[in-house]
Amino acid sequence: MRGIKVLERILATIPIMVGIAVIIFIFIRAVPGDPVDLMMGEGGYVSEEEMEAMRKAFNLDKPVHVQLYLFLTQTLRGDLGESFLKQVPVTDLILDTLPATIELALGALVFAVLVGVPVGVISAVKQNSLVDRVSMAGSFVGISFPHFWLGIIGILIFSVTLQWLPTNGRLDSGLSIEHITGLYVIDSLLLGDLELFWNSFHHLILPSATLGAAVAAMIARVMRSSMLEILRQDYVMLARAKGLSEYRVIVRHALRNALIPTVTVVGLQTGVLLGGNMVVETVFGWPGVGRMVVQSIYARDYPVVQGAVMLYAFTFVIANLIVDILYTYLNPKIEL
Amino acid sequence: MNARNWRILALLLAVLLLTGLLAVGCTPAQEEETPGEEEQQQEQAGEEVSEPELETLRFVLDTESFRELEAQAIAQQLRDLGIDVQVKVWEWSALKAKIKEGERLAYLTDWGSAFFDPFDLGVPKLRTGDRGNYSFYSNPEFDELMVTAITTADEDVRRDAYFRAQEILKEDAPWVFGYYMKAVEASSVDVQNWEPSMDSRINLHDVSLASGDTIVVGMATDSILSLDPASSYRDRETETVIRNMFDGLVTRTHDGKVVPELAESWDISEDGLTYTFKLRDGVYFHNGDQLDADDVVFTFEKILGLGAFADTEGTSRAGLIRPSGVELTVEKVDEMTVRFTFSKPFPVFLQGLVHQQIVPRDYYLEVGEEGFGKAPVGTGPFKFVSGKLDDQIVLERFDDYYGGSPDLPPVGPAPIKRAIFKMVPEPATRIAGLKAGELGIVQAIPPDLIASLEADENIVVKYVEGTRNYALELNNAKPPFDDIRVRKALNYAINWELILDEIYGGLATRLATAFLPSGFGYNPDVEPYPYDPERAKELLKEAGYATK
Repeated sequence: MRGIKVLERILATIPIMVGIAVIIFIFIRAVPGDPVDLMMGEGGYVSEEEMEAMRKAFNLDKPVHVQLYLFLTQTLRGDLGESFLKQVPVTDLILDTLPATIELALGALVFAVLVGVPVGVISAVKQNSLVDRVSMAGSFVGISFPHFWLGIIGILIFSVTLQWLPTNGRLDSGLSIEHITGLYVIDSLLLGDLELFWNSFHHLILPSATLGAAVAAMIARVMRSSMLEILRQDYVMLARAKGLSEYRVIVRHALRNALIPTVTVVGLQTGVLLGGNMVVETVFGWPGVGRMVVQSIYARDYPVVQGAVMLYAFTFVIANLIVDILYTYLNPKIEL
Repeated sequence: MNARNWRILALLLAVLLLTGLLAVGCTPAQEEETPGEEEQQQEQAGEEVSEPELETLRFVLDTESFRELEAQAIAQQLRDLGIDVQVKVWEWSALKAKIKEGERLAYLTDWGSAFFDPFDLGVPKLRTGDRGNYSFYSNPEFDELMVTAITTADEDVRRDAYFRAQEILKEDAPWVFGYYMKAVEASSVDVQNWEPSMDSRINLHDVSLASGDTIVVGMATDSILSLDPASSYRDRETETVIRNMFDGLVTRTHDGKVVPELAESWDISEDGLTYTFKLRDGVYFHNGDQLDADDVVFTFEKILGLGAFADTEGTSRAGLIRPSGVELTVEKVDEMTVRFTFSKPFPVFLQGLVHQQIVPRDYYLEVGEEGFGKAPVGTGPFKFVSGKLDDQIVLERFDDYYGGSPDLPPVGPAPIKRAIFKMVPEPATRIAGLKAGELGIVQAIPPDLIASLEADENIVVKYVEGTRNYALELNNAKPPFDDIRVRKALNYAINWELILDEIYGGLATRLATAFLPSGFGYNPDVEPYPYDPERAKELLKEAGYATK
């Protein structure tokens, strides 16, 4: 049953994706700006005829509905077109940059969960203690401060002053790694190269913490409030009455139930982590999708923007689906 | 108090704080606007009695965010004269599109020149209907002079044309003429024999290090566009990386003089139509192939869409080599001689040629365009090892390098062993990288971050004259700026000295017209409009506008 439901949900994403494709296609063209003019730069001599020829090569001379038709039929065949700027297929560009983005998002997620869940639980258990107040104040900071500021301050403290962590990039300059998954931390382990692992891990810490800070804060707050609610439930009292140790009560009985709202937060934030990392990728010189999108938007490189935004949308849709599926495991009463 | 109350309290506090901030943020702006308008209304009302025809000059000044401060300062100075100016901040691509549609009136813009000749400022920016002519300026005499200057071989004739063109520009005042800026770059103290170039090139061949053998350069871009000099790209960052792997027929000293590189010498025919280059002997590509005339011809045929590439449009680099509408052919004279023939003289050809590097024909045909971009092979001082366009490009010294241009010592293989270009788009991160010792050379340092670098004893800050013209362009096709008196009034009305000193320190230099002093044919007798608010007011009154 569940299998069919999941399949149904996956099929339901198709019309959503087509809708998104049409919307992004129209939106990016509604923004003023001429990709060809931007591409030609300034120096030297370029005539209108030459620019016209280039527009023709990019199909930009055709009416918008024809361009849309071409784009949709191409996309259905799995072809997202070629970047105006780099003359490389968009799918290649995305496949090339996606692993870096996924690595950063996973790093941020791990950071957020590792920090957020324990802080939330401890705050709930030691409600109104100094620990509780300090961590809730801290979470307020995590949510409020913009990535840009957190990132730069992090670099100034940990890279420039203390010199513990590198300022930018995924590996030390000049190092490279054989691509297996494209996630350097994992690839280095698969290759059994601990030095590379340490190097890539080192580079991942600061960007992950910057990107994950807000999510960690959110998780801590949600975790805390749902824990507080659960700890007042009868079955927790019963567990205590049975004489179970406090650790067992909290971890086995309360935590699992309190996790449900947290899973929602994590699931929804995964989309944000994958799609909202333009700033962090720029600050830390992290060669991911976000930075590519930023450059493409400024250059009006329509095919790249379209492809990447569709990827973001797809990630959101899938993340929601996974959250729904996880629910059914955490609470068998919930159905898809 | 329980947790719920705490949360409510925190929320309330946050809301209060935000409202407070918003209130503080908004009030001055509102205050500034409202009384300003009232005053103007009163003023109008007051003046209606004596001179009923005078109205307030109003317009919106468009700018990109990086010049917002400057725009605000200009607006304030103009408001002091009774002009109602509001500043609007844009993203450049959007603003540019709106400007070209003729919808905007006044805009802060900038335009770079690559040729050390007013050609690529004068023609695209000011010739009637040309692609960068955002001011819709049109003066047949100026157009004529530009044509003379770029299609005549005789230097004296060209110089005279440019001199006269500058006089006309100042007289016509199509823009509020602005300034040019020094480029600021910095390196670690370890880096020796490095000079920033006027064309923003980073020549790593000549650089040596006090310790270590690897240099890392922090590039101010999200991604360079290509590693293939025969493909389409027009940005300086891509050029910088490519020029360390590839050499061209000619190159430039860091102050802009054209000197031989792969070409040993060249002849220019009397009529300026033919350029014959004698190639240097014993130049090898990184794969061991020897450079000959076929490689040069192949490279230019690919770019210009000639010969084997006749069915293509060429690449976007063609405009650097010849103006469109001019026929250019490339032919092999013998193994080591190449001839370029123009249908009309193109006197800045050599300056454009500096930007075009040579690819090896046989290897290129063997691996194809895509393959070449992934494993580029050139004749430059460094060979490609590995890397990605949006991450880092790792290069290694080419030991069989012929030595490079004899005019740019040292001649011979590069002193450093490895060169790495790292894409670090955020200026604060680039500077942090330099301070932490991760980066050796960093470009495009924003003026507000210079002081912190100057204070660091491990870092050397260097300045080089820029080739970018910053101005306030006016829409000459629409009222109020179709009236020359209004345009001139604005040229008198702005105290540039004050603005440039306050905002850009000593980095900016005022310009008399659109032409740069570093370019050929700069007319030193044409001086900038002086700051003369009284003269500005007179002109505005003449044009029918009220002043304070």
